[in-house]
Amino acid sequence: MKFYLWAVFDATKGTCPSEQLRGLASLLNCFVSLQTTFIVEEVSKIIKDSVETVIGENSYKHGRVNQWTTSVVEQCLIQLSKLDKPFKFIVNCIIMQKNGAGLQTASTCCWDNTTDGSCTVRWENDTMYVIISVFGLAI
Amino acid sequence: MSEQLKEKPQKADKKVKLPTDGSRAKEKAGRIKDPASTHVDEHVTHEDPTATMIPNTYQLGPYKPFPITVISFILKEEITNHLRDVQYDPHHSREMTLTLCEVIRSRVKELMIPRYKTVILVHIGQLNGQGMQISSRCLWDPNFDTFVSHSFKNKTLFCSATVYGIYYE
Repeated sequence: MKFYLWAVFDATKGTCPSEQLRGLASLLNCFVSLQTTFIVEEVSKIIKDSVETVIGENSYKHGRVNQWTTSVVEQCLIQLSKLDKPFKFIVNCIIMQKNGAGLQTASTCCWDNTTDGSCTVRWENDTMYVIISVFGLAI
Repeated sequence: MSEQLKEKPQKADKKVKLPTDGSRAKEKAGRIKDPASTHVDEHVTHEDPTATMIPNTYQLGPYKPFPITVISFILKEEITNHLRDVQYDPHHSREMTLTLCEVIRSRVKELMIPRYKTVILVHIGQLNGQGMQISSRCLWDPNFDTFVSHSFKNKTLFCSATVYGIYYE
């Protein structure tokens, strides 16, 4: 992403007006924090696209599940690394056949709330449930 | 700093058939796909009042490695104690996953491992003859970051718990 910042430079005095400088500084702060925080919507979109690309409308097949989980997780990680953010990522994927059985999942973390975050997406089709969790931890 | 992908595939394949009804998966955060689900996603954050900003130390790696054996023992002990003679029940298992998460997190925190962030994942599922695959992959530094995992099974349920330890540079 490229940002263009404008400031009035007073040639006679050789300074910018102080309010403009303060405004510029706060703007810069916002942009810097955008680059270093975990944005849930962005990650959520990546996950949904990966699942729909890899699995789509396929039915649950025991022989193919291994390959699906690997592909989904790999796709997610490749897209996440393309974001070029200073983050370490953990991607967890569960594929479960629709059988009437129950499943409970929970996660807790000990991290920095201001920079780290997680995103979980539930997706399903006629024969299976897919749950993908992504945890992003700032370096 | 080189970063490589690390794969940890897990398979839970059950053949027992039990015609019982289950409930939906419950998540920490995310989009709710199923309109029939009655479970609300819970996102509870606890602020640690003792946490402070750490100044730059210029240290290249952890002085104390992530204690895999101790955490493995903690996982085994907690899961076996909580789930040994428990039947799968949707409401009870829902609280059990949260309880297990909190218990494991507090025990790992007690170890006071400096500069390590932890992520704990617990899955409890019913044994109903369904096929299932849990897999996980990470983009991290394999020299310092690691994970510990433990699975448990009894007559009606299975449980899989994972603790990830990520070094904070």
